[in-house]
Amino acid sequence: MKLQEFTSSAHNFEECMKCTVCAAYCPVVQVNPRYPGPKQAGPDGERLRLKDPIFFDEALKYCLNCKRCEVACPSGVNVADIIQEARMKYGKSKPRLRDRILASTDVMGPLAVPFAPVVNFATGLGVTKAVLHATMGIDRHRTFPKYSSRTFEAWFRRNALKEQRKYDNRVAFFHGCYVNYNYPALGKDFVKIMNAIGYGVELLDKEQCCGVAMISNGMYDGAVKHARNNVSALSKAVDKGLKILTTSSTCTFTMRDEYPSLLKVDNSAVRDSILLATRFIYEQVESGAVKLAFKDGYKARIAYHTPCHMEKLGWGVFSKAILARIPGVEFTALDSNCCGISGTYGFKKENYGVSQAIGKPLFDHIASVNPDFVACDCETCKWQIEMSTGYKVLNPISVLAEALDLEKTARINGF
Amino acid sequence: MKFNTIIIGGGLSGLTAAIQLQLSGESTAVISAGQSALHFSSGTFGILNSGAVLPEGHPYSKIGPKLQDYIARIKPFFAKAGVSLHGNDSRNMLRLTPTGTFQECRYAMEEVELFDAGNPDIGNKVLIVNVQGFFDFNTAFIAQGLEKAGATCRIESVSLPEFGRVRESPSEMRSVNLARILEGGGTLDEFIASVKALIKDEDTVILPEIFGLRDSSPALKVKESLGVRCIFVGTMPPSVPGIRCQMQLRRYYESLGGIFLMGDEAVGVNIADSTVKAVSTKNLGAHWLMADNFILSTGSFFSKGLASSPEGVTEPLFGVDTSYDKNRPEWYRRDFFESQPYMEFGVATDGGFHAIKDGIPLTNLYAAGSILAGRGPLTLGCGAGVAILTAFAVADSITGGKA
Amino acid sequence: MARSYKENEFDVIIIGGGITGAGTARDCALRGMKVLLIERHDIATGATGRNHGLLHSGARYAVTDRESATECIEENMILRKIASHCVDETDGFFITLPEDDLAYQAKFVESCRAAGIRADIIDPAEAIRLEPSVNHSLIGAVRVPDGSVDPFRLCASNMLDAKLHGAKVLVYHEVTEIIKEQDTVRGVKAVNTLTGEKLEFYAPVTVNACGIWGHAIAQMAGVNIGMFPAKGALLIFAHRVNNIVINRCRKPANADILVPGDTVCVIGTTSTHIPFDQCDDMRVTPEEVDLLMSEGAKLAPSLASTRILRAYAGVRPLVSADNDPSGRNISRGIVCLDHESRDGLKGFITITGGKLMTYRLMAEQATDAVCRKLGNPSACTTAITPLPGSELGGLKELTRKLWSEPTTVQKAVAGRAGSRAGSIPLAESHQQSLVCECEEVSVSEVTNAVEHLDVHNLVDLRRRTRVGMGTCQGELCACRAAGLLAKAHGCTSKAREDLKSFMTERWKGMLPIAWGDTLRESEYTQWVYNHVLGLNNSI
Repeated sequence: MKLQEFTSSAHNFEECMKCTVCAAYCPVVQVNPRYPGPKQAGPDGERLRLKDPIFFDEALKYCLNCKRCEVACPSGVNVADIIQEARMKYGKSKPRLRDRILASTDVMGPLAVPFAPVVNFATGLGVTKAVLHATMGIDRHRTFPKYSSRTFEAWFRRNALKEQRKYDNRVAFFHGCYVNYNYPALGKDFVKIMNAIGYGVELLDKEQCCGVAMISNGMYDGAVKHARNNVSALSKAVDKGLKILTTSSTCTFTMRDEYPSLLKVDNSAVRDSILLATRFIYEQVESGAVKLAFKDGYKARIAYHTPCHMEKLGWGVFSKAILARIPGVEFTALDSNCCGISGTYGFKKENYGVSQAIGKPLFDHIASVNPDFVACDCETCKWQIEMSTGYKVLNPISVLAEALDLEKTARINGF
Repeated sequence: MKFNTIIIGGGLSGLTAAIQLQLSGESTAVISAGQSALHFSSGTFGILNSGAVLPEGHPYSKIGPKLQDYIARIKPFFAKAGVSLHGNDSRNMLRLTPTGTFQECRYAMEEVELFDAGNPDIGNKVLIVNVQGFFDFNTAFIAQGLEKAGATCRIESVSLPEFGRVRESPSEMRSVNLARILEGGGTLDEFIASVKALIKDEDTVILPEIFGLRDSSPALKVKESLGVRCIFVGTMPPSVPGIRCQMQLRRYYESLGGIFLMGDEAVGVNIADSTVKAVSTKNLGAHWLMADNFILSTGSFFSKGLASSPEGVTEPLFGVDTSYDKNRPEWYRRDFFESQPYMEFGVATDGGFHAIKDGIPLTNLYAAGSILAGRGPLTLGCGAGVAILTAFAVADSITGGKA
Repeated sequence: MARSYKENEFDVIIIGGGITGAGTARDCALRGMKVLLIERHDIATGATGRNHGLLHSGARYAVTDRESATECIEENMILRKIASHCVDETDGFFITLPEDDLAYQAKFVESCRAAGIRADIIDPAEAIRLEPSVNHSLIGAVRVPDGSVDPFRLCASNMLDAKLHGAKVLVYHEVTEIIKEQDTVRGVKAVNTLTGEKLEFYAPVTVNACGIWGHAIAQMAGVNIGMFPAKGALLIFAHRVNNIVINRCRKPANADILVPGDTVCVIGTTSTHIPFDQCDDMRVTPEEVDLLMSEGAKLAPSLASTRILRAYAGVRPLVSADNDPSGRNISRGIVCLDHESRDGLKGFITITGGKLMTYRLMAEQATDAVCRKLGNPSACTTAITPLPGSELGGLKELTRKLWSEPTTVQKAVAGRAGSRAGSIPLAESHQQSLVCECEEVSVSEVTNAVEHLDVHNLVDLRRRTRVGMGTCQGELCACRAAGLLAKAHGCTSKAREDLKSFMTERWKGMLPIAWGDTLRESEYTQWVYNHVLGLNNSI
């Protein structure tokens, strides 16, 4: 090896030029002085921590892990990874019961779904919110995502599974917790579109939550377990030659990038097969393999919000292209800003103020555009934007399902 | 994805070329690995220091007779993007620097005061106002410089409750964070009132450049409201006017339908018959990006357009030919402030800015901006000029002059 | 010793503000003498600040030089106690690589034990577990009580304690003449290098503690010491690659010690004889850099791809034995010369040779010699008296004693100032605002140094606080620090020149290794200081 031909360090912390650009784009720095900022918490702090772990600062917990520092960094430093890894390595504060509950999306889901009407009624009540605020530290302003009375998986098995066998071409679908427990309609939209363009849908063998909420709540062991399980489930699909499609930018990002870089779970066998549905559809259309037919007279003014993890993933270009090319759509790409929710972060009462302050520039921009609805690929952004602006938020897949003439699409694709 | 032209590097040069192409009806995409060096801008653009002699092989010499025409296009071009520049097309002016010296430049962001080169009028009595606890604005140096030039200076600072929040953090009292607080509304008014209250008999007020990230309106409002002349002086990076310029150019580019791939990095290239067919990126993986033409505007060493090791200087993406001194000790001068030879290293091009690989020009790969060999950004004062003017030249070359 | 002094009269004048001079000044002051220390630059500007910062266990010398080995281990144990805030108790490995002779290990261990140095042979796998950066192809490892020591901090603490015990310290004062009356040294003439003021000082004893520059001072006094400057080059890597010192288990050679110190680690050294006229401006050559990189990568392979921060060189004062004017018979041990018995010159002592590690013992020997001349019967107490800053124990205990919930800034200050951090105002958040973000140096620490620690310029400030010693090498902090300094000292054209020379001094260390990230950093810094700040323009 040639000496000094290249230099490397853990998450590139040593490539940092101290240019401070990361701090300029950190949504937390702007509103929370207790957070040391990405440069201090990340590459600067890392040198100190290597000297003596006593320099670990518990205030690193204020990092949203939104990765905007990494997107902005001109030096390729994985600032947020440095911070998250430091939390994993040195952090002593244990997650609270509240954090565990918020993080355990696929434990709470199955418990809530059978009692969905009751749970939804209860969590919607002011009195429940006040109790949760006081006892659990879940902010009273938050609207809990409604639970569906039947999971997506149950619906799929009963209503769609048989149908899928008709298709020679298949894709696997990683639906995620949100589609399964809260909003099966999005999963149904996905299945409808895939079928229309000639693909049958399979579910994974034992999908688990991608683990993003566990990572941000400091439950790393649990996240690693989920990651290992999912990689093995994904591998089975990949072995069958299937692409794995998702409708959530966060699940996608977590499984592709957080598994290897943070959780040190090797996903190399499956990583390139995990795709957002919008990217898959875009590529099918671009290659000419698939044609889309739209409803006559569809009209919508759509403002697209790029979620933080989508920004890091760099795939917003596909969702934006799909939406912008729908005939009758007046499309605006909103300035890429964090909405402030960051998964479960904004649900915690100590973070509510910060969370809303972070989101304000985005909310203001939406109001100034005044669209018919906002489109975005992340479920937690959806909750935050809907709660904070009153505008409805739809996943691009749902928008597409609405705009497409599904029957005609199926016909021109030969089905 | 397929485009007419893909621009690798989303800084001043890349965005200028991309906007020009988009305006001429091309479809383009910009791949930008992180934010650009505009974040460290002085808020002014230099073309060439007066009296500077262009060395042989300087990028300007490849532009040829069109150079003056291109220079005259700069102001209208930026105006279209919403960046209002002032300055004189044919002669240099001076900017007051953060250490109280004067530096030549050709154009400045609209709120930045320019002075006549012969006899800069800085006023007789100057009030320098800082934000309490903000270390990135060196009032003592400014005062000393101005006093040498004959002015009387007084230094004051303003403290508002709203600044308390950033001051609580040991590290985040930065220009950008102050600019966010002063974006508008009540805090800006309060700040203006506080500064006004400090003015006694001064004819000039100097303030740090911490106004207007999104647009220049906060800076202009301060200027209009103080009742005396107000001069903004730059801070340590990041540069508020620089970030504003970057954001405005990008916003304009995207409004023209351009695709800006932020935070992505070109990592793979497909070259056949001296022609670039496609590039792949870190984020898009197997989804290669194809185009008829490619522009390499990835900047110099800092921006990683050029790579260096004890072995030499390379262009890491395409592996195109570079021009540098093979004897490493000759890269540097001992005096930090002397012209450093390594700053002139860069990518070799033919007369039409085509990059050259193994001695053969690539038919559709152009290099523009600070990746080019033969510049002298500090000694010649040509940094911004090379970025913008070579971008114009390359865009013209691609469109056959339509841009 | 009840006697009255004129303002320029002292019991002892010590020339040289390195660790030897500082240690001697402290020892003399603790023994009740009225002390003057004169230094022509700042403290720790010579060899003191230009070495590994290795807290030798003595193992390195065990086989070849038993006496030095024994001195080292004794002083090692003393420094852990009296200078705890300057010392990092890392331990050290002596590793055997496949190309080395494993048989040397047995001899090494035996020699260590004979010198009183704990030396435990450990399994290579265990060595890798304890220090993952070590070359995994090692075939043997011995663990010894090496450590690291911060020479600036050590020197500054000795200086401070000397002052607290009444010593007068004059930095930026150059001795221009040794005042002699017949065969007796009476004092020195000096010039204030900042103001040009000429001064005279008198004392019955003058101590020459100038390292390699002691050669010239001796000549000034009319005596000759056979000294030979040996240049040693070192590289600083930008972060701690290792947490345990790594040495090669073989006869001492070039570039075979890797020392973790504060936020960085240091590989060294080379050894080249140089002419005296190069001592004041040593440049690290490309050949030295290549040697350090390639040998360093054998100790810890990741060094081959770790960012290098700086290259620097120090000069060892090698002294030839008195009966050997050829200089072939060179001692690395302590040399304490009483010029009265040696040359017939009264009132003049030279203390030289030795090493950072044994500074205290050198000081003790020199002070004993002074005491003999003055008839001062006091015994040396420096082996048991903690230095200022080292009274409250290690960082963890210290920060807990000083603050209920210490912040990162407070911890960083405590790491540098030890217990003296308690006297630096750090309670309010604005007092913790950072000047240097890489090394976490706050405005209060800077102000404290400027007010109390003889800071005349930015380089002085760096030596006392680590401002500008981090990854960006001053890019972010130099201008901020210059502003604070200008505030305290008044802003003149000197302040501007000071900032420029600070940047050039930083560049000096970067230049020999300016490629990759260091070149990127340099280009960025050039852009900021030369263009944005316009610092080089005339006003």
